[in-house]
Amino acid sequence: MELLYIPLLLALASTLLGKVLSNKWIWSSISLLTSIFFVLKLPVDPNFIMAASIVDVPWLGDSIRFNLKIDGLTWLLLLLTNGLIPFVIASLKEDKVQKITPLIFLMQIGLNGVFMAFDGLVFYIFWELAMIPIYFITLIYSEYERFKTTIRFFIYTFIGSLAMLASLIYMYGKTGFVSFSYDQLFAVNLSYSESLWVGFGFLLAFLIKIPVFPFHLWQPNTYVWAPAQGSMLLSGIMLKMGLYGLIRWYLLIVPESIDFYQPIVICLAVIGIVYGALIAIRQDDMKRVIAYSSLSHVGLIAAGVMTLSLDGLNGAGLQMLVHGINVVGLFWGIDLIDRTYKTRNIHDLGGIASKSKLFTVGFFLFVIGSVAAPLTNGFPGEFMLLKSLFTFNTTVVVFAGLTIILCAIYMLRMFQFSMLGDSEQKSTQNGTIINNGEVVAFIILSITVIIIGIFPQNIIDIINPSMDQILKELSNVKGVLS
Amino acid sequence: MIGIAIIFLGGIFTLFTGLNRVEQWSKNVSSVLLLLASLFSWLEYKGILNFQNLFKWVPQQMLDISSTTEWMSALLLFLGFIIMVIMPANSRKGADVPSLMLFSLSGGILLMGAEQLVMLFLGLEILSIPLFVLAGSDKDNLASNEAALKYFIMGAFSTAVLLLGAAFIYGGTGTLNLNEIQLKLSFAAHFGEFPILLKAGLILVSIGLLFKVSAVPFHFWSPDVYEGSPNRISVFMAVIVKISGFYALGNIFNSFSPMVTWSEQWIIPILGLTIIGGNIMATGQTKVKRMLAYSSISHAGYLLLFILTPFEENINVLATYSLSYGLGTISLFYLMDYYSKQDNEFSMFKALFAKNKLHGLMLVIATLSIAGVPSTIGFVAKYQLFSTAFVYNQWAVIIALFGSAMSIAYYFKPFKYAFDNSQLKADQKSSKIELNFNSFCIIGLIAITMIIGVFPAIMQSLL
Repeated sequence: MELLYIPLLLALASTLLGKVLSNKWIWSSISLLTSIFFVLKLPVDPNFIMAASIVDVPWLGDSIRFNLKIDGLTWLLLLLTNGLIPFVIASLKEDKVQKITPLIFLMQIGLNGVFMAFDGLVFYIFWELAMIPIYFITLIYSEYERFKTTIRFFIYTFIGSLAMLASLIYMYGKTGFVSFSYDQLFAVNLSYSESLWVGFGFLLAFLIKIPVFPFHLWQPNTYVWAPAQGSMLLSGIMLKMGLYGLIRWYLLIVPESIDFYQPIVICLAVIGIVYGALIAIRQDDMKRVIAYSSLSHVGLIAAGVMTLSLDGLNGAGLQMLVHGINVVGLFWGIDLIDRTYKTRNIHDLGGIASKSKLFTVGFFLFVIGSVAAPLTNGFPGEFMLLKSLFTFNTTVVVFAGLTIILCAIYMLRMFQFSMLGDSEQKSTQNGTIINNGEVVAFIILSITVIIIGIFPQNIIDIINPSMDQILKELSNVKGVLS
Repeated sequence: MIGIAIIFLGGIFTLFTGLNRVEQWSKNVSSVLLLLASLFSWLEYKGILNFQNLFKWVPQQMLDISSTTEWMSALLLFLGFIIMVIMPANSRKGADVPSLMLFSLSGGILLMGAEQLVMLFLGLEILSIPLFVLAGSDKDNLASNEAALKYFIMGAFSTAVLLLGAAFIYGGTGTLNLNEIQLKLSFAAHFGEFPILLKAGLILVSIGLLFKVSAVPFHFWSPDVYEGSPNRISVFMAVIVKISGFYALGNIFNSFSPMVTWSEQWIIPILGLTIIGGNIMATGQTKVKRMLAYSSISHAGYLLLFILTPFEENINVLATYSLSYGLGTISLFYLMDYYSKQDNEFSMFKALFAKNKLHGLMLVIATLSIAGVPSTIGFVAKYQLFSTAFVYNQWAVIIALFGSAMSIAYYFKPFKYAFDNSQLKADQKSSKIELNFNSFCIIGLIAITMIIGVFPAIMQSLL
């Protein structure tokens, strides 16, 4: 509950006191201290359904209860959200602090709520709530074609959420209009044809949010033209909502439809992996490279989830955390470059490595983390995901495995053009990235790349019991995996 | 019943006493009257005050304003109060506009309380005739005159259709009382087919009312009339007429509930046409007022979902939806009125957020609410309406959900300009919030929208 009202208080405080306390480090550190303290304090129960409620009060009648619960997966995503938000705030430009900080805190409420919600409609409400602040961040501060990009983003995701709402209401009807509660929805048995429709509603919402291949059209332009913080929030945290929904809500609420949708989603995701990577190779705008690489990486996570194996789910959980950290770091680094040299085009950049050494080290860590080199955070998750796909189908893994090579190509190409070489005749001739507090925070974030790379088991230990429980429920109660 | 008495007598009082005073005076008086009427109606509904002895002479089988009707009339009066308070008065002398609005409102309450088709007709006429005058109350404006004439001709025509329908129903059942009609129909339901006279009668009566609530394909008058009328009157038409019209429609369909399987066959196409048509046409509009007119058409479509559900037990659904639709529409009309220039284009909202923070916030909250985004009353209303209707017709709800997704395309259009500070001069910027009566009203509107959105149980406790 603290995770909901502390961001609300911080949002109010930063709106009212924004003029007086315009230093971003104040907000960043308050946010870091409070949210991490409350996340660490939360009890972790492996079983989502049986866990004790953090709060449980009727919201609208008795059928919709404001009910929040926590298991390992939720805990990890809360850690990701609340751990990254302070860094997102730290990356703000000083003149935008007062305007964007309240919106970021408001978004934090929505995100925390989505991951904790035990009630279908409460989940939907937080799902939408997280979208409003990011809509305004992108609308007000996008650099180009503001309205067109953001309205496309909003309509896409809104259509998805309304489809999910229809499915939720249908499931509510199936409980005899008794309850939206997760356990009640879980207990509903649907016929095959019903489950296809209901599953379609859920999947549409989640696949648009993730985004998986044909539903990604809103994504590249939004990521590229949004302000850096918008891109960080969208790709770093918000798309985890889609993956979380896929695992928590789609798999367990409509397992009857998995047989039908499993090959479709895996195929689409694998197409997305190759498609995103191939397009990323040809991009000159650094932000666009990351946007398409995000499409590629997230496709792999979605495919891993749909294999319904323990490795796939654990790898997906780990990779969600890792992808969040890496993408936030990369967008941050690109924003630092953009602010210093006023360009993101890799052909105009070069030789940054010789000028800003500390910054380059951090940026390099994020790059190799994304490439999934061993001993970086990307490796264990990607390995587990590929292994799960391999067990699922060997043909699929041939294409999915291309991500290892292609990712190295576009990431290292980007790094090489922008950081290495010499800066003669380039925009990077003058000026260096000054080693101020922001770069220090950037380096601190990049160190986690190595830490998680060396100790991935500690994170697997948190999510493994929950993921195991999800698979058990799928096979025992619903008989899907038999 | 007390509400209608207060505003009717009060209307006459304002009309005479405000004769030689500026309109602001009669506006203030009628605002107070409306608030009192709303409060007393609600207190009477709750059983705290009792005025039954005063109204013993009213024949119950003609007009019955008690229980849910009383509560809805309190809501209607409250929305009327907000419109009266927040929309600015014009500078002329005389009290004609406020008092005509009061008379029209009393007609709306009669329409809701009608237990008999003749009374329904009377209510509809008392609601409409002041509006014909009001639509043309901006006498020097040609568009306003056109609106008045158009509304008058269309209104008279639709009432004629309604009367013909009432005559057919009388021919079919031998009674005009809605309760007796329901009784006779439930007997007739056991003997198979309903007579063609009854079916024709129901269709004609519905057409008469659907004209008033501007459902597609009976909507052609509404954008022109809304655009031509003064803003205050347009919002009055969009809110008060629509809500009372839907209550009356619900009442009639409740009496004809034995025929529901047959009547659904043509209600659902009208519903689909209204939602899809209203939303598509609204998307193409370049003027704010016409966009709001088409948006109110699409909301008529959503409200038609209510007609498919049993009337009595779901009255809180209609009430919540009416309140949310009313608050959203009034807020947007107020902003449009405040910033409107000659052409009413969307660009009137340019740099709104930098010019006036409170108005910017109002625009954001009202838009989110009317689009049905969670944490506002609009979502609660839409959720309740859709989930209730889902029991009776799933495809209609799917159409409505699709329509809501489409509506984002035009509701969010003002945002394109509201946050665009590119051509803003430094002196236009103001971060201060002026504390006057209007800002107080705006804060109130925002507060109601948000509080009921976050704690929807409040709405149930009022009922």
